[in-house]
Amino acid sequence: MAMVREPLLFARLPVGGRRLLFGMALFAICFLFAFPVLWLILTSLRPESGVYYVHRGTEFTLASFVEVLQDERLLQAFFNSAMISTLATIFSLLVTVSSGYMLSRFKGPAASTWFGTIYVFRCVPYISWVIPLYFVAQSWGIYDTYIGILLPHIAVHICFFSWLMKGFFDGIDPSMEHAALIDGCTRWGAFIRVALPSAIPAISALAVLCWLFTWNEFLFALILTGNKVPMVTVVMAQFVTEMGLRWNLMAATAVMALVPAFLLALFGQKYVIRGLRI
Amino acid sequence: MFGEQQRFMLFLIAPAALLLGLFQVVPIVIGANASFRDWALYNPKKTWVGLDHYRAVITDPAFLEVVLPNTFIFMILSVAGSLALGLGLALLLNRPFRGQKIVQTVLMVPLMVAPVIAAIMMRWMFNDQFGIVNAVLEGLGMEGQPWLVQRWTAFGIIVLTDVWLWTPWFTLLLLAGLQSLPKEPFEAAAIDGTTTWRVFSHLTLPMLQPVIVVCVVIRAIDAFRTFDIVWTLTGGGPGRSTELFSIYAYVLAFLNLDLGRGSASAIVGGLIILVVGVVMYRLVDRVTKS
Repeated sequence: MAMVREPLLFARLPVGGRRLLFGMALFAICFLFAFPVLWLILTSLRPESGVYYVHRGTEFTLASFVEVLQDERLLQAFFNSAMISTLATIFSLLVTVSSGYMLSRFKGPAASTWFGTIYVFRCVPYISWVIPLYFVAQSWGIYDTYIGILLPHIAVHICFFSWLMKGFFDGIDPSMEHAALIDGCTRWGAFIRVALPSAIPAISALAVLCWLFTWNEFLFALILTGNKVPMVTVVMAQFVTEMGLRWNLMAATAVMALVPAFLLALFGQKYVIRGLRI
Repeated sequence: MFGEQQRFMLFLIAPAALLLGLFQVVPIVIGANASFRDWALYNPKKTWVGLDHYRAVITDPAFLEVVLPNTFIFMILSVAGSLALGLGLALLLNRPFRGQKIVQTVLMVPLMVAPVIAAIMMRWMFNDQFGIVNAVLEGLGMEGQPWLVQRWTAFGIIVLTDVWLWTPWFTLLLLAGLQSLPKEPFEAAAIDGTTTWRVFSHLTLPMLQPVIVVCVVIRAIDAFRTFDIVWTLTGGGPGRSTELFSIYAYVLAFLNLDLGRGSASAIVGGLIILVVGVVMYRLVDRVTKS
C-alpha cells in the first residue's frame, strides 16, 4: 500500500492562496531579472545632481540624453554599429545557410572533414586569432576600416551558424527535394526553391541572433578599430574610464544602445522561439 | 575533374571556407609564427627564440596560480549557475498560466543586453559609494562592501553578471527541448500518481539530457574565452586577481606590447580549450547516440 504522505505546505494552502504565492514568486523572479535594466533607465533619467542617490528624490530630466546626443563621435558609433550589424547579418546568412545545407544533405569524407573543421574552429578562443588578426589587418591595409571590421564579423559566425543551420535542415524532410530533382530540377533549384522556403523560420531566427551578436560584440571592435570607425560598445567602455563619475551620461548612452536591440528582439522574439524549436 | 555533386558541394561551402581561411587560419598561422620569435611591437626584431615564450608563459606564477584557476572556476560556476536557473525557469514556463507570455518576454531581457552594458550596469549597482546594493545593505543596518576592489567579491560579481546574461539562453533552449518531449510517459506517470520530484528526476531529466549536454558544451566553450564583462567590470583587477585567460593574452600583446609572448599565451589557451572541447565532443556523441 502506498504510504500516506503528509501533503506539503504548499499543497495544503487553499487554491486562492496557492495562486497568490505563485504569482508573487513569478513577480519576484521577473523583478530580479529586469532590475538591472530598470535601474539603468532610472539612472539615465536623473539630473546630474541627483544621480548619486538614484533611490532618493523625484526629479527627472531628459537632459542626459540631450547632452549625449550632441556627441558626434557617439552618433558616428551608433551609425557604424547599425550598418556593420546589418551587413554582417546579410552576408553571414548567405554564407552559413549554404554551408549548413551541405553539412545536412551530404554524407562522406568531404562533409565530415568540413564538420570537423567547423567544430575545431568553433572551440578556438577569439583572442587566439584576433591578436594576430590585428597585424594581418594592418598589413592588408584594412585596419580601422569598415571592411576590416565587417569581414571578421562574418567569419566569426561561420562555425556556430553552420552548425545550427545543419540542425535546422536535418529537421526538414529531404524527400521534397528528391522529388524536385526527379522532376528535372537542378541541385541549385532544389536548394533555393524547395529547401530554402521551408527553412525561413530558422533563417529569421538566425538573422535576429546574428544582428544582436554583432551589435553587442566587443573584443573585435576593441582590437580591430581605432578612431576612424568607432563602434558603440567600445565607445561605451571608454566612457566608463573617461567620464568616470558622470553616471547619468553613461546610463543614457547605455539605454540608447539597448533600444535597437530591444526593438529587434521584441519584434523578432516569436521567430527566434519558433526557429529554435525546429 | 569533379562530378556534378562534388562541384555543388564545393560551391556550397566555398565562401564559408574562404572566409574561415582568410580570417581565422591565416591569423592563427601568423600568430603561431610570432610565438616563436622575439616580436615586441616597438622593436619587431623577429629573431627566432624557439620555445622561450611558451616556457615563460607556463612557468609564469600569475598564469598558473591565478589565470588558469580563475578561468576554470569561472567556467564551472557560470555554466552550472545558468544551467540550474535556466532549467528551473524552463520548467516554470512549461506549464500554461495567465500572463505567461509577459513573464517569458521579461525573462528574455538579458539576452538582448550587450555584455559591456551588463557590466556597466553591475559596476554602477555595486559601486561602493553610490551603488544601490550598498544603499540597500546600509538601509538594512548592514555594512556596505567595496565589492569591486576585493578579489572574491569582484569575482563573484563577474560570475553573477555572466549568469544573469546567459540564463535566458538556457531557458529558451531547454524550454524548446521540454516542449518537444513526447506527452505519453508524463500522462502515464500522472495516472500512477508519481510525485513531482520523481517525474522530474526519472522522466524529464533523462529525456532532456541530450539538449542539456549540448547547451552545456556550447556555453562552456564560450565561457572559457570570456573577455568583455571582465574587461569592463574590473579590468582584471584588483591587481591581476580576476584576470581570465583572454585578458591575460590581451594584456601581454597590447599593453605589454609583446606580440610573441601574447601569441604564445593565446596558443596555450587555445590548446587547453581544444582538449576540453574534444573531450566534450566525445561526451556529446556518446549521449546523443545512446
